[in-house]
Amino acid sequence: MNAALGTAGVTLGLAGAVLGVVVLAVGLRRRRRALAAGEPPAGAEALLHLGRPFAWLVLAGAVLATVAMEIALVTHDFSLTYVAENGSRATPLLYTVASLWAALEGSIILWALVLSGFLAAVAHRFRHQASDPLVAWATLTMLAVAVFFFALMLGPADPFTTVAGAVPADGPGPNPLLQNHPLMAIHPPLLYLGYVGFTVPFAFAVAALVTGRLDEGWLAATRRWALAAWGFLTVGIVLGAWWSYEVLGWGGFWAWDPVENASFLPWLTGTAYIHSVMVQQRRGMLRVWNLSLLLATFSLTILGTFLTRSGVLDSVHSFTESPIGPWLLSFFGVVVAVILGLIAWRGDRLRAPGRIDSPVSREGAFLANNVVFAAFAFVVLLGTVFPLVVEAVNGERLSVGTPYFNRMTTPLGLALLFLMAVAPALPWRKASGELLRTRLQWPAWGGAGAVAGAVLLGARGLAPLLAFGLGGFAAAGALRQLALSVRAARRRGASVVAGLVGRSSGGMIVHLGVVLVAVAFAAASAYLTGEEVRLAPGQSATVAGHTVTYQGMNPPAETPQKTVFSARVQVDGGVVYEPALNRFPNATQTIGTPSVRTSLTDDVYLTLVAMPEEPGDPALIGVLVQPLVAWLWIGGGVMALGTLLALWPGERRRRVPAPSPAPAEERRAGGDAGEAGEAGEDTPAPAVVGP
Amino acid sequence: MSAPSGTAAGPNDGAPPAPATSGGALAAPPRRRTALFAAVAVGLVVVLLVAVLATRDYSGTRTADSPLLGRPAPAVEGPSLLDGRTFDLDAERGRWVLVNFFATWCVPCQAEHPELVRFDAAHAVAGDARVISVVFSDDADDVRRFFEQRGGEWPVIDDPVGRVALEWGVTGVPESFLVGPDGTVQAKVIGGIRFDSLEDLLAQAQGVAHGGGGEAGAGPPGGQG
Amino acid sequence: MSARRWLPWLGLAVVVAVSLVVGAGGSGGPPTDAERKTALASELRCPTCRGQSVRDSDAPAAAAIRAEIGRRVDEGQSDEEILAYIDGKFPESLRLTPPASGVGALVWALPVVALVAAVAGLAAAFRRWRAEPLPAPSDDDRALVERARSSGP
Repeated sequence: MNAALGTAGVTLGLAGAVLGVVVLAVGLRRRRRALAAGEPPAGAEALLHLGRPFAWLVLAGAVLATVAMEIALVTHDFSLTYVAENGSRATPLLYTVASLWAALEGSIILWALVLSGFLAAVAHRFRHQASDPLVAWATLTMLAVAVFFFALMLGPADPFTTVAGAVPADGPGPNPLLQNHPLMAIHPPLLYLGYVGFTVPFAFAVAALVTGRLDEGWLAATRRWALAAWGFLTVGIVLGAWWSYEVLGWGGFWAWDPVENASFLPWLTGTAYIHSVMVQQRRGMLRVWNLSLLLATFSLTILGTFLTRSGVLDSVHSFTESPIGPWLLSFFGVVVAVILGLIAWRGDRLRAPGRIDSPVSREGAFLANNVVFAAFAFVVLLGTVFPLVVEAVNGERLSVGTPYFNRMTTPLGLALLFLMAVAPALPWRKASGELLRTRLQWPAWGGAGAVAGAVLLGARGLAPLLAFGLGGFAAAGALRQLALSVRAARRRGASVVAGLVGRSSGGMIVHLGVVLVAVAFAAASAYLTGEEVRLAPGQSATVAGHTVTYQGMNPPAETPQKTVFSARVQVDGGVVYEPALNRFPNATQTIGTPSVRTSLTDDVYLTLVAMPEEPGDPALIGVLVQPLVAWLWIGGGVMALGTLLALWPGERRRRVPAPSPAPAEERRAGGDAGEAGEAGEDTPAPAVVGP
Repeated sequence: MSAPSGTAAGPNDGAPPAPATSGGALAAPPRRRTALFAAVAVGLVVVLLVAVLATRDYSGTRTADSPLLGRPAPAVEGPSLLDGRTFDLDAERGRWVLVNFFATWCVPCQAEHPELVRFDAAHAVAGDARVISVVFSDDADDVRRFFEQRGGEWPVIDDPVGRVALEWGVTGVPESFLVGPDGTVQAKVIGGIRFDSLEDLLAQAQGVAHGGGGEAGAGPPGGQG
Repeated sequence: MSARRWLPWLGLAVVVAVSLVVGAGGSGGPPTDAERKTALASELRCPTCRGQSVRDSDAPAAAAIRAEIGRRVDEGQSDEEILAYIDGKFPESLRLTPPASGVGALVWALPVVALVAAVAGLAAAFRRWRAEPLPAPSDDDRALVERARSSGP
């Protein structure tokens, strides 16, 4: 029943997407012919308007498939292979629901659901411009992407296959690592919202190339979508790091694992894009480059999915191996071929004339930012695929791991911090030395204070000190911009909050979050102290100033799902923490659950490395002390908050009149006012800034 | 956020014309073909990358040799978990020994166990070859139960801290090494083993050994599932 | 006037320089044995698990290698000896730092080459822009200025 329902949903989605592509393609063709013949393209435009219902059809199909799978999971319908392999009666409801993305086939359903959600949202948002070829091409592109993912679900990654033979009475449940922490319920969907969200600006970028309209219209149309996708991706990545910190038991949050890199790559190009797009909005330059960044972001999400799902790379996260590798790789190939073809065909004709007067200017800083981000992405991509390349060249097997990535990316990260400190103070066009001295003086003292303070507190080592100094510089710079923005808001009689809302202030708050993450990352990686101590019950050990006392083992806690062996470990004579080892009935290895004493200054990360043979024997306990880890998550939250503020509609936007039936009129009235508003927001005008 | 440009493809109703389409007086015709060249260059790189990715196997199934081949076998000694009698690999010179790394929780190990029992029994009378097992990260009681239920009476050496496995370069279970009568490692098998192929491997290794030494490590590691 | 302008920056430079000299130079002495053990464990890939380092993995093989590293550090072996010994045990290299010679060196060189090329390209562009006459403002520019002005505070 569920299988039939799900397959019906997938079929409906596929049919909707294919028909939508056909209708839009025919409509676009007729429209061009009509215009060429000098006839009114009314009939063709009616066809283009017809494209919208298909988006809803696709969404309906995806929802149907998702609902069918969730019903099957929750009701333990083990006649479905997916449920038989990933469900179990003993799994708590939360993880049963989350099993939708515990394995490949289910995560493709999630992908399709999110994609069709975005598709329907685009269709709805631009419903009055449906006959605009730009919108039509964008919708068509998204529908074409949907065709691919729905086809995957009918073919090689069919989530609704049924088990051959007798229906099993129970299943093994999801991978134990995936049912150990509630973050598993929200981290993957957020990551997917980010990944898939970039399909929207990607589709508009393709549409812009096809129609040749590289003016700022498509940019404005998709700016918020790109920002929202970026925000989701950011939060998804941070939560992923948090999950691995809380669950994997090695006390780290970032391992340069291929799966992590796969999510980081689109984040890097996406971040480069949301910066350089400002140059285009402000100066009309870098059009082709911006398109390329979006196209790269989308291609990298597909490549990343291939790398992590095909099993060509070793990763702690590759929970599944599957036959869809060749499909994803082919799709990646097609996407890249189409993109490069479009750029080769259109790119040079669409380049905007323009020049950057001085490297010491806002646009110069954005250029430098893009160079560094591109280099960063190149290092991460190269390091990830390099073992495969070398093996293909001479059969040698080598590994590229954390030491490589840390060494290569540290200077790039420091350069980004420096740019983050300087760029917001730079004016467009050209900066005079005098202006810089005025604007940078207090932020620079912030940086110097951070270095001096860190040294006084005992921090040593060049790289972390530079990170603290540049972080302080950047944070002070961002705070200065925020203060100016709030002051300007107060001056025009608005509230303090009004000064914090909007793209510019939101961006500065994101910068503050980035600084927190960067400083915490530098401190936690540079100043960690770890030891494995063998303690008999009642014994204590001191690690980096923290006393841990092993009190003994709890009696094993048996549930149908797992058996938990937990130790009682007191930290600093206070709270007792219980790191544990879990034995899952169907898993080969025990899985540790760390227990962490978190504080704003440092984390004490406890793991039970080895159980005592007898209850009174000593246990081997891992103790890892890392400073400032909590600020990684706080920084992630600040970045999310900043993104929200940047997305928040400003005052001017809310004054835009309700959409009128005549799209052209609406654009004149609303669009321009909005754009002027952004332009005003971008930088405080020098008159306001200069003291 | 403003809507995308108006309904027509051309410059829209009175808005400032976009430089790309009409460009004003200064939109000089493009002189360079940067985008074209960049696209072609990126395309070439991507073609190579896709070619590399398309030809890679699934990482989990790749096998490899061992640096131990032809070298003296690392020490395996200690009391057997089954009967407590002391075993020393060095004392086994003169016959072939299959050193099998296993764990009770590993499914291929369970599958290959009857094959090992058969191999050991087949050579018990002649005494020309035997099996010994090294426990890989497992509980001693589980191992005893495993052998009680599934048979096998050869020495089973515990390796609680994994040092033996490290010395042998074991990367997973099951892995088996064929040690020759001279105490050197002759072959390595990754994954579950079968009686027939084990006999073939032994015969081949014996042939090489009798044929005058030659390349000691020539035994093909024939992993099979 | 000039002194007033430059003095704060001079002070700033002194503060930063002194802090960095104290902080970067004063880390004091060779790494302790515990630090060496951690560093060595992060240089090696865990042989049985997928893509985790020996330091990060709780797999038995990783624990065994950590114990071996500990033993050998206590015996006074050098880092390179220990890495070579353990790496030599396994059919594939466990080193997480790619070699600086042979094909492996490309992974170090390519990003540097790419970065240098990008910076050189940008420098060339800036030189060309400087050589070209300043284009007169286009209609688009004017419109932009107009809009910015009309919306300014």
